[in-house]
Amino acid sequence: MLPNRSRLSVLVFLLPPLLLYGVAVLFPILQSLFLSFFSWNGISDMEFVGFANYVHMLSGDGVFWRSFFNALGYLAICLVLQLGGALFVASLLTSLRRGRELVKTLYLLPAVISTVAIAFLFVRIYSIDPVGLLNQVLGWIGLGALERPWLSDVNTVLAAVSAPEGWRFTGLYMLIIYAALLAVPQELEEAARLDGANRWQLFTKIRFPHIRPVWITTTIMATTYGLRGFDIPYLMTNGGPGQSSELLTTYMYKTAFTSTDFGYASTISVFIVVECLVAVGFILLMLKRKADA
Amino acid sequence: MKRLMRTAAVAAAVTLALAACGSGGGNPAANVSPTGDIKPRQISWLLSRPADGAVINIMKKIADEYAQTHPGFSLNLITTPDRPSYIQKYETLAAANKLPELFDTDATPFAQQLAKQGKMVDAGKLLKDLGLYDNFRPAALDYQRFDDGSLYMVPMQFELEFFWYNKALFQKAGITVPTSLDDLPAACTALRKAGITPIALDGQDQWPLERYAAYQPFRQAGPDYVTSLKKNQAKFADAPGQKTVNWLSSLGQSKCFSEGFSSQGYSDAQNQFTSGQAAMYNIGTWELSSLATDKLNPAVRNDVDFFTLPTTSGSVTAANEYVSPSGIGMAVNAKTYDPLVADFLKFALTKYPAEYAATGALAPTTNVQTTIPANATPLYKKALDKATDLGTKQIMPWDTQLDPTSNTRLQQELTLLVQGNVSPSEFTSTMDSTIAQNAPKFFK
Repeated sequence: MLPNRSRLSVLVFLLPPLLLYGVAVLFPILQSLFLSFFSWNGISDMEFVGFANYVHMLSGDGVFWRSFFNALGYLAICLVLQLGGALFVASLLTSLRRGRELVKTLYLLPAVISTVAIAFLFVRIYSIDPVGLLNQVLGWIGLGALERPWLSDVNTVLAAVSAPEGWRFTGLYMLIIYAALLAVPQELEEAARLDGANRWQLFTKIRFPHIRPVWITTTIMATTYGLRGFDIPYLMTNGGPGQSSELLTTYMYKTAFTSTDFGYASTISVFIVVECLVAVGFILLMLKRKADA
Repeated sequence: MKRLMRTAAVAAAVTLALAACGSGGGNPAANVSPTGDIKPRQISWLLSRPADGAVINIMKKIADEYAQTHPGFSLNLITTPDRPSYIQKYETLAAANKLPELFDTDATPFAQQLAKQGKMVDAGKLLKDLGLYDNFRPAALDYQRFDDGSLYMVPMQFELEFFWYNKALFQKAGITVPTSLDDLPAACTALRKAGITPIALDGQDQWPLERYAAYQPFRQAGPDYVTSLKKNQAKFADAPGQKTVNWLSSLGQSKCFSEGFSSQGYSDAQNQFTSGQAAMYNIGTWELSSLATDKLNPAVRNDVDFFTLPTTSGSVTAANEYVSPSGIGMAVNAKTYDPLVADFLKFALTKYPAEYAATGALAPTTNVQTTIPANATPLYKKALDKATDLGTKQIMPWDTQLDPTSNTRLQQELTLLVQGNVSPSEFTSTMDSTIAQNAPKFFK
């Protein structure tokens, strides 16, 4: 318990960031909620439409649902690459005796490159005409039958735009998980080894339970980042071909700034906020249940 | 909870107040001769043109000349060459009522709403008041007009769009220049058989493919088809619409466009044609310096030629009527229009055409002669000469005609149709229902 003067100081120092948060985050959310009940193209008079935008979004807009399911697919691929890849690499890193810093730096490198550069880089990698790196490699290893325009094929484009996002942040989450793994007490692991635990048992019974709080944080971070994913898919395909790589975020952006339907775009943005809150609640619930089990 | 509700109410009130602040105001759009003293200041032009392009370079020069006699004057050029990004910026500024003195816009439904609200100066009256109206090419002015014939944008350029083709590749495939649009799929099949990519296409920017959607209806039903379609008074299910849907589908089946075209950019398409890999390239005279000068790859330089948009049997438009755009237009903000802006525009628009024609481009006016560059091939002059032989009807690009939501959907569905991912009937049904749903909001 802090003494009264200290509590007051904490509250005083908390106030400015809280105000900033309110202005920068809460106010725009409330504004979006307000706008979602209107039809407005920015230059005409605002027309109150009640829940019509929500009814249209949930029952009459096929592109919205297509974007929603695409966003879930995008999220799944990003999570597997980011969290799965990060856990795998971090685990390997703990066994590495030399060159750890170099490996860490190399994995972290994509996180500091601008998304625009990454998008252009991957457009070239996926290209078929002129032939890009991926198709060239497939040809070299005798898998020429798999060569295709990855970003133009409706069956491959979603995975193709998800992969750069996953690749980009694997290093960041790897660093966080690696730091958590280093904090696992060595004596616990040694005791388990003496009791005859194999590497898998060591991981599932000792290491992972120990890093669970960090894992929850990284999962929440990766999930919310994934649900808000925008720039790389937007730059690479602009949601196409058709709506094959359209995400809720890109659809919301186009609705606002291309279609100038600010009311409906606000409705979609309210949905994205709710979706993120539900996802975080779901993760906390699921991981808490596992921990209790 | 009570507090939360109160906060929400305050936020709502503030938003309403902000929205109210952002509307109305300004000079009446019809008053093109504001009276009073000319007080030099900085004026801005929000534009979507290449930063080192002729328009910007010339206007900079003209503004500097004007500043010499009007100390304190300067022209601030704010350019966003990427058109989709520009449109977002311009529409957001329009929504905030923060558009500068001059801004670029196509004759879109959004621009027409701005004009109806009195936010743009009547360009027809302005040009007549300056005594410049009759100098402009009728086609250049018509391209900038809204459906009701009103004119709110000043054309700054004039272009003609052709099918550029490689004679050697045509010969290799054993084909001749298509005399009908309906010949194109068969020509593509022959070129593919010869191992040649038939048409280089920038699929990423979407408007180049949308041009193809405009061709058949223009030949079948004339320029009125799109003006009816965009208002949901005509359908893709109608005869001209079905003709184009089936034709586009057949272009896809004949593999007319390069593999993976939807993710290919502008320079990719240009490179494919200028390196001799693709046989055709549908682009305008703004690329003359790349296609008809000694900058062009010597390996293909003598093989490049062009043909204009072919007609079809029963065509209601003539062979000399095709896409002849005058580019994005310059609009004048009615709210900030004052004696200074009027005086500068008079100075600039009088001097501009001659300076522009000297760069080798077609000027929007007829009172100047284009200078053919010293490094031009004979094709350069041949292309320019087509401007003297134009018919009276022209194809308006569909991306400036349809409401923005229907346009976005059309661009998406066109790619799927040409790639064979949707059938002609699915395309027709999707587009007709999309336009029916969205057009009424824009064309009340």
